[in-house]
Amino acid sequence: MDSKQFNTQILSLSDRLFRLAKSILRNAEAAQDAVQDLNMKLWEKRSALEEVENVPAFMLRSMRNLCLDNIRQKREEDELPVELEFSEPNPHQQVEQKDLVARIRSMIDDLPELQRTIIRMRDVEGMELSEIAYVTSLTENAVSVNLSRARQKIRQKIIYEQKRVEETVWKG
Amino acid sequence: MERMNDLLEKYFRGETSLTEEAELKHYFVSNENIRAEHEAYRALFVAFDQEKQDTSDIPFSKVLQQQHKVKRFWIRTFSYSGIAAVLVLALWIQRPQQEKDYAIMHGRRIDDPEYAQKYAEKKMNDVNEMIQNGLKPLRNMEAIKENLRTADKNGILKHEILESDKNNNINN
Repeated sequence: MDSKQFNTQILSLSDRLFRLAKSILRNAEAAQDAVQDLNMKLWEKRSALEEVENVPAFMLRSMRNLCLDNIRQKREEDELPVELEFSEPNPHQQVEQKDLVARIRSMIDDLPELQRTIIRMRDVEGMELSEIAYVTSLTENAVSVNLSRARQKIRQKIIYEQKRVEETVWKG
Repeated sequence: MERMNDLLEKYFRGETSLTEEAELKHYFVSNENIRAEHEAYRALFVAFDQEKQDTSDIPFSKVLQQQHKVKRFWIRTFSYSGIAAVLVLALWIQRPQQEKDYAIMHGRRIDDPEYAQKYAEKKMNDVNEMIQNGLKPLRNMEAIKENLRTADKNGILKHEILESDKNNNINN
């Protein structure tokens, strides 16, 4: 595979890879680095890529694995838990997230890694359950269960947020 | 509107198809007049739509440039290592030749091997001559010793003759 073919087949997926990495790492800069890192690794092993049947799914799977490795490594270095649980936004976040859309994006970020990865692959990228199953190394049924849980959690948070806003308006 | 309610319920259970989800997204994102009870969920689909616009800031050219940078780095490293190795080898080969080709005589460097050899031979002859001259007194000593031995021998004969005369006188 020469650089032209690599450009066409691999680098054209950069945006999808970036969104996935950003969702997992919850940091745009770290996501950029991860995408570059993956592109470099794949460039070095580009001859092996010719044998891959579904290149986009393979790339997304590699991206997720690389991001999870980065989190694990960071956790070992910093001794932090894998998942940081976010509850109520702090005052600074509240100012930043006045917009409900931004709040929802933040709610998705607060989901466990697997759930937020699955909900984004489905609702942002429009991927089939079978593709998501391949990327996450789960069965389709497990993907479906996690997708449902993720959506239910977001729904509950939206309802809670709506009630909170209504109460604020009522009190005000 | 009943359909939208049903679709929403199905969506949160994780049972909708990609086509049904596309219908929901179209309703929430592109429709200005949605029902008040659905308003809370508009932000959810808008959030997904916004996330789809998230793009990596890494231009393809930058990734390729990075790849070429890495390639260039290795080419340079190997080139410099090669040059250094050749230089070391050249110095190593040249060093013994230089040692063979010159000699220090009386603190003076002699680069002409023929001259150095003749000079060394001459000096060796001088030393030989000096040794020969030094041995001359020893040779004289040898001659004296020989004379003494002869003189001593004469003394023994004289003693024998005297003894013989003495014996003859007694017998007579």
